[in-house]
Amino acid sequence: MEEIKIEVPVEPPKELETLFLPIPKDYVEDTYRKDDFLILVGPQHPGSGHMRLIVRVKGDIIQEVIPDPGYVHRSMEKLAENRLYIQNIPLVERPAIMDSANFNLGYVRAIESAMDIEVPERAKFLRTILAELCRIGTHLYDAAILAVFIGHTTGFMYPFGIRELICEALARMTGARFTSSFIIPGGVRRDVEEKTLRWVYDATFAIEKRLKSFERIFIKNPTTIARLRDVGVLSKEEAIRFGVVGPFLRASGVEYDTRIVEPYEAYEEVTWDIVTADEGDGYARFLVRVNEVSQSLGIIRQCITSMPEGRYVSEQICDDVKGNFFDKFGNLVLPAGEYTTLTEAARGTLLFTIVSDGESNVPYRVRIVTPGWLYLRGFMESLKGERLADLQAIYGSFGYFPPEADR
Amino acid sequence: MEEFTKFVRGGILGPIKKWGTKWSLWPVHLVTACCGAELAHAFACGYDGERIGALNYGIARQTNLIIVEGAITRKMARVLRITWEQMPDPKFVIVMGACGLNGGIFWNGYNLVKPSEVVPVEFFIPGCPPTPEALLRGIRQLQIKLDKGVAENSLTFSEIALEKGKKPKVLPVSPKVVSNAPSIVVAVKKAVDWEFGKQLCDRLKAIGRAVITAKNRIALKVEVENLRSAAMKLKDLGFDHVKSVNVIDVPNEGKFIVEFLISSYSVKELMPVLVNLYTEISRKEPKISSLSDIFPSADYLEREMQDFFGVNFVGNPWKGKFILAPDTPEFPLRKDFKLEAESYVGD
Repeated sequence: MEEIKIEVPVEPPKELETLFLPIPKDYVEDTYRKDDFLILVGPQHPGSGHMRLIVRVKGDIIQEVIPDPGYVHRSMEKLAENRLYIQNIPLVERPAIMDSANFNLGYVRAIESAMDIEVPERAKFLRTILAELCRIGTHLYDAAILAVFIGHTTGFMYPFGIRELICEALARMTGARFTSSFIIPGGVRRDVEEKTLRWVYDATFAIEKRLKSFERIFIKNPTTIARLRDVGVLSKEEAIRFGVVGPFLRASGVEYDTRIVEPYEAYEEVTWDIVTADEGDGYARFLVRVNEVSQSLGIIRQCITSMPEGRYVSEQICDDVKGNFFDKFGNLVLPAGEYTTLTEAARGTLLFTIVSDGESNVPYRVRIVTPGWLYLRGFMESLKGERLADLQAIYGSFGYFPPEADR
Repeated sequence: MEEFTKFVRGGILGPIKKWGTKWSLWPVHLVTACCGAELAHAFACGYDGERIGALNYGIARQTNLIIVEGAITRKMARVLRITWEQMPDPKFVIVMGACGLNGGIFWNGYNLVKPSEVVPVEFFIPGCPPTPEALLRGIRQLQIKLDKGVAENSLTFSEIALEKGKKPKVLPVSPKVVSNAPSIVVAVKKAVDWEFGKQLCDRLKAIGRAVITAKNRIALKVEVENLRSAAMKLKDLGFDHVKSVNVIDVPNEGKFIVEFLISSYSVKELMPVLVNLYTEISRKEPKISSLSDIFPSADYLEREMQDFFGVNFVGNPWKGKFILAPDTPEFPLRKDFKLEAESYVGD
């Protein structure tokens, strides 16, 4: 159908200035002149965490989306420059508290690579269990938020019911439901008893059983499939070009997982498969994460059955953490240089860069690049050409978590 | 109308209205930070907050309670106020998390606002994050307040006077040691067993000064004017995305070090390799050409650095603030912007 051009003599409303739009004024005027609409999605919306999307639509087809992030920017990089290395461990896990172990792991590994600390085997296995528990927890959290986005309340309740088991497992192992700060340079804070590990082992089967009913209710639900299939497609080339990370990259057919390309902790010693899909649409992104949950359950079971005996913290640091934590860790000074680690957090590649000057016991610069911040560009690109009604489904399929992206 | 309002509140219908409000406290969806995870648990099947008449709802116009979940940033403070103003009377605010009280772990951050300065707060729930039980207790406490008319602490502890002589006379010194004239070296050579890296390093030497800093990490220094051509050459080698853009401020040498961490998804043997393409620019006139047209993945990362350091990435279409609020201090990550230092407080 041929488009009829009409000059519409409309002016943008005066209230526009009070909205603090981060886009230039002539962009708004241009939108008005071309008979497009600007729709502000957020910042207060029924998702998890807040951000504003400035959506330009023609009819109900999305032409362009401009993100307005920073509603949860808590100045983490600056704060990290002003605290001792050890004080930063609780700080760096705050971006995504359901994924705390992976965030701790990335930061702590940067310190370990700088100081050449060899981590004992048992500690590596314990760290892997924690990281995988957090990965399952985050994927379930995202599945629940996706269900809220597409208006499926039962789909919200089920993953959170399963998450209670994850929280219980974390509480039994580390003492905290979310923010455990359990991983420290050289190992972990405490040894974990055999009885607790046995409980976690049994819990993985309970989780698996409950996931089956979740599959029937939500994952294989025709309405879910109808909402998610073929929306927000990112092709392989696009995903690479816009630097998408983690499960969202693998859903577009790229076999990249930091746990495989640059193995850390115990990932080389357990067998598991990398989960990929070729479609690159919303449903593929969701399914990849669902399948990763079962891989993670397998990793946890293998770690528990083949758990080696031994120390839980490296003898390069101290014999026992209990009682002399501040003495041993308070005055860490890294040798001068720059240290970068890549970690596969639940939502994708997490990058920590620590720059040390070699004299201070605070870092000179800490750069945290979270997966959410990396795939934001790809997320915005995938919205182009979709219908406005699919925005929520695509948002949910990416599991975008603003506190993580904004840091 | 006023008479009617007065009648509803104080007349014979008053107690019924009070009772109705008490059992229908609907919090608006205003997940301001990470405590939202525990809020979701409180209203999911594990704790079931709905049984005390509270359930999250999407639209501010149809709700009467805000649960502020943790940190309120400068950008979010406006939204919090607008949401509060949109809600019909009577309305209440509960603040959850230590960040909402006095900043918590982020107490001296440059981007935080106390929620109690933005909206009137009924109850605070401390914790980082508070458990769902604590949150439900906060909601119960609000219901009790509606009944009695006064807000009370849900827990009171008996006070014990500190014995004399136990207080330290001299305050301890800060454990922090900060160098006055730090020297920043980004590329520290390290001998590692990595054959492919040595080959790659030889190839990269045509572009700039390449140094292996660790396994799978190569630092590549180029001059400012050669940055774009170096990026082009890296792209031809098979590197296809930027993982991080980083700026390091070195005020005592008057320079910024700008780094692009470049890696590859499409070439299998380059996947683990992370090339740190870096250059130095003057601190007085921080200007560097943008790589966002060569690597679109660098776009948002560059905008962020533009906000944090005031480094002008020439060629990046974005002008103005991206992640920071309009009233955040200028260029907060520069070293001359100091945060309030922590100190021991004496008697």
